[in-house]
Amino acid sequence: MAGRTTRGESLWLRYMVLGSWALVCLVPMLWFLSIGLRPRTEIITPQPVYWPTFSLDAWHALWSDWPIGAYLRNSVLAVAGSVVIDLILAIPAAYSLTRYEYRGREDIGFYILSTRMMAPAIVAIPIFFLFRNLGLLDSVWALMLVYAAINLSVVTWILRSYMMDIPKELEDAARTDGASDLRILWEIIIPVTLPGIITAAVIAAIFAINEFLFTLLIASTANAYTMSVALANFTGGSDGIIYNAIALVSFLAFLPIFILVVLIQKNLSRGLTMGAVKG
Amino acid sequence: MASIHLDNVVKRYGAFVGVKEMNLQIADEEFLVLLGPSGCGKTTTMRMIAGLEEPSEGDIRIASEVVNGLDARDRDVAMVFQGYALYPNMSIYENIRFPLRMRGVPKNQQDALIRRAADMVELGDFLDRKPAALSGGQRQRAALARAVVRQPQVFLMDEPLSNLDAKLRASMRVQIKHLQRKLRITTVYVTHDQIEAMTLADRIVVMSRGEIQQVGTPDEIYSDPANTFVAGFIGSPPMNLIEGQVHSGRFIAPGIDIAAPGHMHGNVTLGFRPEDCGIAPDGQAGLTGTVYGIEPTGDSTFLTILAGDKQVEVKAPRDFRAPLDSCASIALDPARLYFFDSATGQRMRSTQ
Repeated sequence: MAGRTTRGESLWLRYMVLGSWALVCLVPMLWFLSIGLRPRTEIITPQPVYWPTFSLDAWHALWSDWPIGAYLRNSVLAVAGSVVIDLILAIPAAYSLTRYEYRGREDIGFYILSTRMMAPAIVAIPIFFLFRNLGLLDSVWALMLVYAAINLSVVTWILRSYMMDIPKELEDAARTDGASDLRILWEIIIPVTLPGIITAAVIAAIFAINEFLFTLLIASTANAYTMSVALANFTGGSDGIIYNAIALVSFLAFLPIFILVVLIQKNLSRGLTMGAVKG
Repeated sequence: MASIHLDNVVKRYGAFVGVKEMNLQIADEEFLVLLGPSGCGKTTTMRMIAGLEEPSEGDIRIASEVVNGLDARDRDVAMVFQGYALYPNMSIYENIRFPLRMRGVPKNQQDALIRRAADMVELGDFLDRKPAALSGGQRQRAALARAVVRQPQVFLMDEPLSNLDAKLRASMRVQIKHLQRKLRITTVYVTHDQIEAMTLADRIVVMSRGEIQQVGTPDEIYSDPANTFVAGFIGSPPMNLIEGQVHSGRFIAPGIDIAAPGHMHGNVTLGFRPEDCGIAPDGQAGLTGTVYGIEPTGDSTFLTILAGDKQVEVKAPRDFRAPLDSCASIALDPARLYFFDSATGQRMRSTQ
C-alpha cells in the first residue's frame, strides 16, 4: 500500500512538471489566438484588460479582405510537394550513402550536408534569375523546387542515420533469400525506416512552412504567396500593422504542424527494428 | 543437394589476407563445421560460398558449377544468421514466405510449404506474430524455417546458436542435426564452440589466421590433432601442452621425465589430455608437482597441478580431494602422449 502511494505521488509530480512545461510552450500560441479574436483597440491599449471581449470579426475580415484561401493552398501545395520530392530523392541517396561502398562516398555525403551550411543570401540572386529564365517566377512549382532543395540535405542525413542502424545481416538475409537491391529497398529498408521517414518528412515540412526569403523573392502575387510571406503584407500599407491578421495567420500556420506532430508522435518514438536482431 | 568445392580460394582486404589459399571439398549431404576463434576466416569463407563476398582469387563450385561472380540471390543457398535477421516489419508467416515470393514459387503452393516448414520447427502456432513478440529460441527457429522452406541446395549457418542460453543451445543443436539429416541438404556451419562442432559435424575444419589447420571427423580431430593449435583448441578443458627438451630418448621439463620416441631431439612440446592421465601410485609418477586447485564437477574432479611454472589439468575421480600445495604424482598413459615440434607446432609422429 505504502509503495503504491509513493508511486501515485511521483506520478502526480511528473504530470505537474510536464503539464507546466506544456503550458509554457503553448502560452504564446494561446496568446496569439486571443490577440486574433479581440478588437484592435483592445489589443493595443496600454492598460491591462481583465475582461477581454472575444469576437470573430477579425477572422471574417481576414477572409473577406485577403485571399487567405489562396495563401493556404499555396503553402500546403508547396510544402507537401517539396516533401514528396525530398523523399523520392533522399531515400535512394541515403541508402546508397549507407550501404554501397565506392570512392568518395564520405565526401559526397559531406557535400550534401554542406549545401545546408551556405548562407541563403548568397544564392538568392542566382536563384531569382534561374527561375526567371525558367519562367517559373510567382509559381507554386518554383516554391516546391526551392523548398525541396533547401531540405534535401537534412532529409538525406536523417534517413542515413536511421538506415545505418539497420543491421547489415538483414540485407544479407534478404539477398540470400533471393531479393534484388530494389526489392530489398522497397520491402525491407523502407518499412523498417518508416519512423525515420516520417520524422524527416515532418522536419522538412516545418522548415518549408517557415521559409521566407526565397518565397518573398519568387512570389509576387496570390499566385504564389504563402502563409509566411502573407504575414509580411500585414505590416505595411495604409492600414498600419494589422495585429489581428498577423496573429490569426500565424496561428493557422502553426496549427497543421502541431496536429501533424501530435498524430505521429507515437511513430516518432517507436523503434521498428526491435526484434530484428538480438536486443 | 550439391557438393561444394573451394579451389585455392584467397580473400584479401587491402593488405590483410583474410583467407589464405583454401582448398576444401564438401561432399553432397555432408554436415561440415568450420571451427576456429574469431577472426580466423571461417565466416569470410562461408560468406564467399553464400555469394555475399567475392573471393580475391580461386574458384568456388557448387554442384560442380563455378559460382564466382554469381550474386547471392542467383545461388541456390539459404543462410541462417547469428542475429536471426528476421524482417521486423513482417509476421513470421511473411518472413517464411519471403524467399518463396522472391524466387517466384507459385502462390497456390506457398501456403502448404510455409506451414510444413513452420511445423518442422514447431512454430505453427506463432505464424501471425511479429518477430519482436517471440523469444530468442523461437526467433532462431523462425529463421531456420525461412531457410528450409524452399529446399535449397546448400544450407549455410553462421553461429546460429551463439545468442541463445546454454540449455536452449543444446536442444536447438539436436533439432538442427535432426533437420539436416531428414532434409539431406549439404550444410556448412560456422562456430567457435568446439562442443557444437564435435556434436554436429560429419567433418570439422579447424581454422586459424585464415588457414586450415586440420580437416577430419570429430574423432580424428580429437584423438589425432595435427598441431598444437588444434590440440589446444579442442577439448574441455583442452589438451595440456608442455614445452620441454628431448635428450637421448627422455622428454624432460620441470616435474616431468618420461620416455620419448627414439628419433626425437631438441625442443619438443608434450601434449596429453586431462582424461588420459591419473593419480599415480607412489614411485610410478610421470609428472610431479603441487596441487594448485581442485574443481569438483559432479561426475569427476578436475585437478590443477603446478609443475614448474606450468599449470596442468588432470581429470581425477569424483571423490578425489587433496590439500592445496600438497605433492601430487600423476601417471601418464604412454599410448596417449602427443609430441609436437616446439618451433613449428606440428605433430611429430612416431616412425613406424
